[in-house]
Amino acid sequence: MSVSESFEPTETTDESRPLRERVADNPGPARFWLLGTAVLIALEFGRYIGWVYQLVGAVKYVIGLVGLIPSWIGDSVGEATVPIVSYFVSDTITLVLLFGIAVLVTRFTSWSAVDQFDIGLSDRIVRFLERAVVTAILATLAVLLAFTPVGGLVNGTIDGVFNTLSSIPTLTSHEVISNQGHRTPGGGWDGTFLGLSPAVAWGLRTLLVYTYALTVIVWSWKGYTIFRDHYRQADWTPRDDTLRRFRSHYWGLFGLIVVLMFIVTALWAPAVSPTTADQNIASPYEYEIEYLNDDGEVATVTPGAANLGSISTNQNTVGPMSYDDYDRWAPLGTTPSGQNLLTHIAYGAQTSLVIGLLAIGLGGLIAVTMSMLTAYYKGIVDILTVLTSDTIISIPAFLLVMMLSVIFGDHPLAEPLNGGLLLGLIFAFVYWPGMWRTIRGPSLQVAEEEWVDAARSYGQTPANTMRKHMAPYIAGYIMIYGSLLLGGIIISTAALSFLGLGIEGSTPEWGRLISDGRQLVSTPSWHVATIPGLMIVLVVTGFNALGDGLRDAIDPEADTGGADDTGTAAAGGGG
Amino acid sequence: MSHELSQEPIATETDVPTDSDGDVMIEVEGLKTYYEDGGLLGGTPVKAVDGVSFDIHRGETLGLVGESGCGKTTLGRTLLQLEDATDGEVRFDGVDITTLEGDDLHEWRRNAQMVFQDPESSLNDRMTIGEIVREPLDVHEWETPQARRQRVKELLDTVGLQREHYYRYPHQFSGGQRQRISIARTLALEPDFVVLDEPVSALDVSVQAEIINLLEDLQDEFGLTYLFIAHDLSVVHHLCDRVAVMYLGNVMEIGPTEELFTEPSNPYTHALLSAIPEPDPTVERDRITLHGTPPNPRYPPAGCPFSTRCPARIRPAEYRDLDDELWNRLNTLRELLSERQRADRSVRDRLRAAVGKDTRFGTVEETYDELFGDLEVPARVQSVLDEIATLARDHNESEAIAVFNEAFGSVCDDEPPAYHDMSDGGHQSYCHRHTDEYRSPDAVIENRHG
Ligand code: SF4
Repeated sequence: MSVSESFEPTETTDESRPLRERVADNPGPARFWLLGTAVLIALEFGRYIGWVYQLVGAVKYVIGLVGLIPSWIGDSVGEATVPIVSYFVSDTITLVLLFGIAVLVTRFTSWSAVDQFDIGLSDRIVRFLERAVVTAILATLAVLLAFTPVGGLVNGTIDGVFNTLSSIPTLTSHEVISNQGHRTPGGGWDGTFLGLSPAVAWGLRTLLVYTYALTVIVWSWKGYTIFRDHYRQADWTPRDDTLRRFRSHYWGLFGLIVVLMFIVTALWAPAVSPTTADQNIASPYEYEIEYLNDDGEVATVTPGAANLGSISTNQNTVGPMSYDDYDRWAPLGTTPSGQNLLTHIAYGAQTSLVIGLLAIGLGGLIAVTMSMLTAYYKGIVDILTVLTSDTIISIPAFLLVMMLSVIFGDHPLAEPLNGGLLLGLIFAFVYWPGMWRTIRGPSLQVAEEEWVDAARSYGQTPANTMRKHMAPYIAGYIMIYGSLLLGGIIISTAALSFLGLGIEGSTPEWGRLISDGRQLVSTPSWHVATIPGLMIVLVVTGFNALGDGLRDAIDPEADTGGADDTGTAAAGGGG
Repeated sequence: MSHELSQEPIATETDVPTDSDGDVMIEVEGLKTYYEDGGLLGGTPVKAVDGVSFDIHRGETLGLVGESGCGKTTLGRTLLQLEDATDGEVRFDGVDITTLEGDDLHEWRRNAQMVFQDPESSLNDRMTIGEIVREPLDVHEWETPQARRQRVKELLDTVGLQREHYYRYPHQFSGGQRQRISIARTLALEPDFVVLDEPVSALDVSVQAEIINLLEDLQDEFGLTYLFIAHDLSVVHHLCDRVAVMYLGNVMEIGPTEELFTEPSNPYTHALLSAIPEPDPTVERDRITLHGTPPNPRYPPAGCPFSTRCPARIRPAEYRDLDDELWNRLNTLRELLSERQRADRSVRDRLRAAVGKDTRFGTVEETYDELFGDLEVPARVQSVLDEIATLARDHNESEAIAVFNEAFGSVCDDEPPAYHDMSDGGHQSYCHRHTDEYRSPDAVIENRHG
C-alpha cells in the first residue's frame, strides 16, 4: 500500500502498547492502588482462602457428577443390551467428554499447532489432531488420578494447604474479636474481646465487617477511576454514560446498597452472627460453652442443651437485643427451637444467594445461549426452542417446581445444602424459558444489525459473532430481568419451605423461620416470623430497584444530558 | 427456453470485451436467490433474484439500479455468499463460489467485501474503531497483532480519519465519518472486489460527494472492482462505467453508462430515466408515470416481469386502437383478478364467499363501476368484460384470467423475452419489442406518452 510507505515502521505510537507497559510508564497511581489492595486482602486473607477452598470443593463436586455420567449411561445401555456393551459405551462417552474439554482447552490457549508446524495438511485436520492429542493427555491424567494413589495424594495435599491457610485468623474472625464469654461473679465479662460485653464485641465486629466491605467497594471504584484517568486508552466509552446515568438514579442506588448488604451478610455470615451455624444449629452437642449460673458459679453446658432453655414461644421468649440465660447475646432474639435468629438469617442469606445465583446464572446462560442460536440461525432451531419453552411455560411455574422437587427428592443431587442445590437447578430449568422470551426480541433485533452481516462477510465464525456482536447487547437485558427474577426466586424458595417442601434439616432458610413463627406473631415472640419477613421484603425490593436502575442506565433513550460533550470529540476527522 | 436465452449475453460479452482493459473478473450465470420463509410448511418462495446473468470486468464499476425491493441488494449479497444461491453460478476468476465451503469459503472471503448502506447499523458501537477495523485482520490471522494495529492506523489515515481515532467509539462520529470507518474495515484485507450497497443514501447530501470521491480515489489507488448498488441515478451516472437495470429479480437492461443514459432501450429504463429531473430545461422530456405497484415477487408474471406496468406493452392487434386509459384500467382489473385468485385459496375467504358475504375485495359490480364507470367501453370489450364478471362472481378466477388473457393478452404476458444486443458495446435489453415483428420501445413510448 502506498500509504504505508509514507510512515516509518518505527513510528509505533505510545497508545498502542499493552496495559503492562502503560503502567510501567507511569507506575505511581497503580502502585498506590495495588498497595491498598494488598493491605485489604491481607486483612481477610484466611477468609478469602476459605472461599476459594469452598469453590474448589464445588468444582470437585461437579467433576465428580460429570464423572458419573459415562457409567450411568453405560450401565443403562448395558442393562438393555449385553453387560459388556456398558464398558464400551461408558468409555466412549468419557472420551467424548474429554474431547469436549480438549476443544475448550485448545480454544482458550493461544498456542496452536497450526502456526507451529507446516505439514501440508489442511488447518482443520491439524486442529483435530491437536485436540485428539490433548484428549489423550487428559485421559491419561484422569486414569492416573482415579486408579492410582496419585489421586489421593494430590487431593490430600490440596486439602491440607487450604485448611492451614484458611485457618489464619482474619480481622473479622471470632478468634480476633470474640463475643463468646461469660459473666464473672464480679459483674464483668470473661473470654470476650478486651472484656467487653458480648453485645459490644458483636457490635464492633459487625461494624468492622460492613466497614471493611464498604472500603473494598470504594477501593474498587477508586481502582476503576485510576484506570480510567491514567491508563485507559479511550477517553470515552459507552459504559461511562451507563455509569453516569446509574449514579444519578437514586432508586437504583438504594437497590444496589440493599443488594450489596445482602451479599456481604451472606459472605460474612460467620462474622455477622454471634455464633457459628455449626455450633448453634448443625452440631450443637459437640461444643461446650461456659456461663454464670443462678448460683453465681461458672458452669459448662452444650449449646444444644442451652438452646432448649432459650426458646422463643408463646410462653418464654428471648427477644431482640437481649441475652439468654446462658450469657449468649441474641441481637435478633431466638427461634422457637432456641437457636440464634441472627445466625439463622445470616446463613439463610447464604442459602438464598446460592440458590438465586445458581438459578439465574444457569438459567440465564441457557437463555442467552438459546437466544443467540435462535436469532442467528432461526429456522428449525427456533421452532424447537419455541416448542420447548412453551411447553415448560404452559405448566404453572410453582406447580412445576413442586413436582420436580418431589420427583428428585431422593436423587444424589438433593444432598448438597439439604436440597438447595437441587432447588437452584429446578428454578434454572423452570425460569430459563421466561428469560429467553424476554431477551428474544432484542436478540432478533441485534441479529438484524448490519454489523452481524459485516462480520459474516469477512468470515467471522458464528460463535465469535454471537459473543462479540450480539451477546453484549443482550447482557443488559438479562441483568435487568435476572435481578427482577432473583427476588421472585427468594420468595419462591421461602414459599416452598413454608409449605414444607423446600429446604429441610440443618440448612438455615428464611421461609422456614416464617413458617415456624407464624403462630407467634401476636405473642411476645413476634420477632421469629416478622424479622425474616421484613428481610425478604427488603431484599426483594432491593433487587427490583436495582433492576429498575439498570434498565434506566442501560437505555440511552433515557439520557437527557451529556450528549454534547462527546459529539464534538471527533470533529477533527472531517467527512 | 428462458434458460437458453439467459446464457446468450455471456457468450456475446466474453467474445466482445467492452472495456479495452477489461478482463472478466466475475461471471454471473442464471443466478437465482429464492427466500423460503414458510418455515416447515414450505410455501411459495419469494423470488428475489430470478435468473440473472452478467459479467463484471476487473477494475470497473458496475452500477446496479432499480426500485427498492427489486432484488438488487439480494443480488449483491448473493455475490458475497451472504445469501445462498438457489440456482446458477457465480464464477470469481473462474471458480464457482456458490459451491465453496469451509476453509475455501473462509479464504475466498478475503477477496470480496461489502460496504453497507446504514453506517448507524454497520458498526458495532460497543467496540472501538480500532477493534472494528482490526476484526477482519484478526479473523484471518493477518501477521502479528502489532502489525495489525499499525495497519489499522494506516487504514484510518487512508480513508481520511486520524490515527488517534483508534480508541474512540462509533458514537463519537458523524454519519459520514462512520461510513469512512466502514470503508476502512472493508479495505483491511485488501479485497479485489467490493460491493457498495447504497453507501451514500443514508448520508447528508453535502457528505455524499466526499464519500463518492473517496471511493473513486480508493479504486484508483488499490485497483478495486466495484458493484455499486443505488437508486440514485445521478450518482450512478457519475461513478459507474456500466449500469445494469433491475426489475423484479431480472436485469432488464445492461450497458455502458453513457449509452444507457442517452439512448435507453428498455421501456423500464425509459420510465426510470424519465423520473430524473432534467438538468437542461430546454430539453423536453415527459415523465412516464408507471401505474400500480410492482407485482409480488412471490408470484411474478409468467411472461415479461414488467408486463403488468409496462408503458410499451405489446397489445393484441385487434384491440390496438383502444384508448390508453382503458388499457390501464384493464391492467388493473387483471391485477385484481390474480390477487383474488391467490386470496381465494384461503379457506376463510372461501367460507365467507359461500355464505354470501363477499370477501375484502368487494363485489364485482363495485369493482367494475370504479374501473370502467367513467369510460366509454366499446361493445366488443364490454362483452369480454361481462364474461369475466360472470366467472368472477362464481369465484372462478383462474377461468376469468384465462378469458382475459385470451382476449387482451400478448406475447409480453406469455413468454419471457430474450436479451437483444443494442450495440457492439455489450449493451443489451430484455424486451420483446426489439424483434423485427414489433415497433421499438422508443417509438411506442413516443407515440403513447409523447
Ligand atoms: S417485453 Fe413487453 S412488457 Fe416487457 S418490457 Fe418489453 S414491451 Fe414491455
